[in-house]
Amino acid sequence: MGTGRSARAPFAAAFVALFVFACKGGGGGEQEEAAPEAPAEEAAPAAVADAGTVKGVISFEGTPPAPKKIDMSEEPTCADKHQAMGGAVTEDVVVKDGKLKNVFVYIKEGLSGTYPKPSARVTIDQNGCVYNPHVLGIQPGQTLVIKNSDGLLHNINAKPDQNRGFNISQPTNMESTRTFTTPEVMIPVECDVHGWMKAYIGVLNHPYYAVSGDDGSFSIGNLPPGTYVVEAWHERYGTQTMSVTVGPNESKDVQFTFKAQMAEGAVVPLGRPIHL
Amino acid sequence: MRELLKHPFWQAVIIVVGSFVLFEFGVAYLPPLLGMKSAPVPNSVLLQYMLTVLVGLLVYVSDNEQRWRRFKEPLHAVLVDPGKRALRMVLLVAVPLLVGFVTYDQLRPSVEAPLGLRSIHPAPPGQITFRGKTIVLARLENPLRADGSIAEDYQVGKRVYYQNCLPCHGDPLNGRGHYAHGFNPAPLDFTDNGTIPQLTESFVFWRVAKGGPGLPKEGTPWNSAMPAWEEFLTEEEIWSVIIFLYEQTGWTPRTWEEAAEGAEE
Amino acid sequence: MRVVKRRDAALSLLALTLTVAPALYGQQAAPGKAVYDKWCAGCHGVDGKGDGPAAGYMLPRPRDFTQGIYQIRVTPSGALPRDEDLLRVIDEGMPGTAMPGWRTVLSKSDRQALVDYLKGFSHFFAQGPAPDAIRIGKAPGLSEEGLAEGKEFYDKIECWKCHGRAGRGDGPSAPTQDDELGFPIRPADLSENWTFNGGGTVEDVYRRLRTGMDGTPMPSFSDLVEAGFLTDEQLWRVAQYAHSLSPEKPPRVREVIRASRIEGELPSSPDDSAWAAAERFYVPLVGQVVVKPRWFAPTVDGVWVEALHNERDLALRLVWHDPSQSPDSAWLEWQARVLATVEPREGAPAEARLLPDVFAVQFPRRIPSGMERPYFLMGNAREPVHVWRWQSQPAAAVEATARGLNRIEPEAGRQALAGQAVFDQGEWRLVLRRPLATADPTDQLQFATGVAIPIAFFAWDGSNAEEGTRGAISTWYFLYLERETPARVYTAPVATMLLTAGLGLLVVVRAQRRQQHEAAA
Repeated sequence: MGTGRSARAPFAAAFVALFVFACKGGGGGEQEEAAPEAPAEEAAPAAVADAGTVKGVISFEGTPPAPKKIDMSEEPTCADKHQAMGGAVTEDVVVKDGKLKNVFVYIKEGLSGTYPKPSARVTIDQNGCVYNPHVLGIQPGQTLVIKNSDGLLHNINAKPDQNRGFNISQPTNMESTRTFTTPEVMIPVECDVHGWMKAYIGVLNHPYYAVSGDDGSFSIGNLPPGTYVVEAWHERYGTQTMSVTVGPNESKDVQFTFKAQMAEGAVVPLGRPIHL
Repeated sequence: MRELLKHPFWQAVIIVVGSFVLFEFGVAYLPPLLGMKSAPVPNSVLLQYMLTVLVGLLVYVSDNEQRWRRFKEPLHAVLVDPGKRALRMVLLVAVPLLVGFVTYDQLRPSVEAPLGLRSIHPAPPGQITFRGKTIVLARLENPLRADGSIAEDYQVGKRVYYQNCLPCHGDPLNGRGHYAHGFNPAPLDFTDNGTIPQLTESFVFWRVAKGGPGLPKEGTPWNSAMPAWEEFLTEEEIWSVIIFLYEQTGWTPRTWEEAAEGAEE
Repeated sequence: MRVVKRRDAALSLLALTLTVAPALYGQQAAPGKAVYDKWCAGCHGVDGKGDGPAAGYMLPRPRDFTQGIYQIRVTPSGALPRDEDLLRVIDEGMPGTAMPGWRTVLSKSDRQALVDYLKGFSHFFAQGPAPDAIRIGKAPGLSEEGLAEGKEFYDKIECWKCHGRAGRGDGPSAPTQDDELGFPIRPADLSENWTFNGGGTVEDVYRRLRTGMDGTPMPSFSDLVEAGFLTDEQLWRVAQYAHSLSPEKPPRVREVIRASRIEGELPSSPDDSAWAAAERFYVPLVGQVVVKPRWFAPTVDGVWVEALHNERDLALRLVWHDPSQSPDSAWLEWQARVLATVEPREGAPAEARLLPDVFAVQFPRRIPSGMERPYFLMGNAREPVHVWRWQSQPAAAVEATARGLNRIEPEAGRQALAGQAVFDQGEWRLVLRRPLATADPTDQLQFATGVAIPIAFFAWDGSNAEEGTRGAISTWYFLYLERETPARVYTAPVATMLLTAGLGLLVVVRAQRRQQHEAAA
């Protein structure tokens, strides 16, 4: 591979060149087209007869904590990326018009059968010194692409309880891949260089999960008819479960409501705590 | 070679060199090979030993006329023998140089720390005041040994030890905890048979309770980093940690009977 | 009569039944249990959760074995350690932490049994064997250019974000670091390789770069080599550069600090070239664990001391590492976390506050004639000590009289002490200077040359909640002000040499004459 030779070239003049080169060479160019964003909602493998859907909106009651400004003055590259939006803010509680974002909703009980691991890859991108997405799902064996779009040092430190973790250094634009082996809700991920960077990964041995969007909505489709326990997980407010029966071709509405006071004493299933 | 060994001069040389090596290195390094503890011989003691050896040798070589003459032969040869002219010259230069160096070495300003003599196990007082309560040390036994729950006392003592004594005395109780390098004198090594097995539990209680500040002057109380544990621990906690020290190291405390015998000897 | 009561055997049996057996995965590794419970559980806990009674009394905290996460491995990030990894740490201990080496304490079979027992704490070991060691080649030859290249990559892969530009563990991300259990942890000070948890050789450093240090924020750089961002050789260069930041050998502690005598004015700035004339002495500092409230997590672990005098003044240059220039609000979060983590809570403040960094040098009030000196821990009411106390903000260096760590009071009389400090990339360099003789001989020490003067050192890192009795301390050392060498040191040896040579000649000449006489006769 030519990278080594090129990287040994005089740095003083070649930093920018190398930087660009490394992002191409290091990013695994041949894989780029093979790594589309793999939204969880579309991860179901094959069509199911008489499939139903569980969908709904996550509501929030009470006054959510105001998002805090993140001080990115140490990282001007990242700060610039958030300039248009008026600067980066914390993402632990994102509420808009009484709807809660970043809730991981999944079928906890009621599924039988096994689901082959999808070939689609799931990407978590470090961009503007935040993780995108902030909450995501994946299946055991499915490839997780860890991408650095910032071109500055991040380390991605996964802290699971049931899986083996990892802690990879990415000081440049590059991609690494990892997989998990065991279902686990949720695995916290953090960047130790930027203490505010946190993400959560749910590992499930089926494709029936979703993450609530900006409007608090979620949808789990292609679901075989049956009775299920659906759980909604939030990093600050803990979990809620609901039993749902989905008939053939039925679209069932499920509403979860998180309340501001739930933060007190909330039990948040988590691999290992990040920051006490 | 055999001739050399029979010659009184060379015998003397071998004995002098041999005794020096034995005193300087043998005493310090041989016993540890057999699993015994030892320490280097101080220079002043070494000088005494070597003088004794020299006097003994002189008596031996001058003991009869013939041996004395043979003893002097090589010396005399160096002084007069035309064939030894080169050696003579070398000695005439080397010996004064050596003497000059030794003189310089003695006179030049020394930056050694003043000798700090310290009694490691100073005599304990007859009684102490523990948090206002008078405790008579003489013939005092560890009260926890009487009530038959040594295993529980050990667990209490273990907690006390790990939360308080560990940084200095270390997990293996060898006086090499992670703070030990910061202290002079070094923390006591409880695995050494010169420490707790030589002491009664009441002595250990006194040392733990009163710590460095409670030492008599011969124990250099100003240097010791041992805290006065009565500020931190209850009487029972101290007795428990003493149980822990003996159980963990496998030593047994000195009994009052032994202490009395020791005093009579 | 000798009464020997052997309770050991009975006791260990009792202890066994008293402690609850941990939930062991895989095979029941009984032989290791007795050894573990006796020697390891005090810190790591009976259940291996890293929560033994001593756990709160140290930082970094003891390892939690239940996750199968180990810092020092030869295997990739996230992988299980190999048996030899576990055995090595048991044998050698972990420098820079409270973990001692057990090689000389426990038998080989006991240590081996411990390895098996530790593995039983985590279900991961039952799922399959640890992978092979990451193959590491040989370090390229050391060269100036190689080190320069290492430095370039050190900067480029941003090691400095945590370890600092000069490697002193003072990077901008240092205050927010936590371990896998969420406890505060510090990036290594790369200029003190004797405190590296996994050993201080170039190979050790390189291996840590490849494997990462699981359970800590230190990531693996293997992906980077595989992605071709830097070559294996370049990663070796980084390891060599990091290694070059430390002295060649760990500092040797000497009891006597020699103040060299120079002609002319003493340097008043810490970066004056005149300091080249002074010898460097290292004094280790440890937590104050003697009087209440104690402190088990000090920042400063040692100070380099240099001393110069010119028969009129004495100047000390004190250099120590502290990642924060306190007071610094960036470290308030760290301080809060440390206060929430470290035991015991003997009067520790509940909240983080902005505090300055402080350094103190302690002397007796007069040079002792005998052995006796004041109590090493800032004296006491009966026998106070003379103290030079410097603080970072508001910047001040004062002479004080101390009657204990909490009673350090500036002297009312004329202050003759001058101080100048520089904070540079995680290092304080401080010069304290004072005339040997002052106007107040009662409280202020009058220095003399050619004698050993007791001296001790204290450091407080404000960002680590240190003040009063919570700080780093030393016991007594000695300061020796070099005296102008008297002429007789040189004349006497010459005289004895001449005398000996003369005597020798005389003996030879006389012996030869006698020989000639005898021959003639």
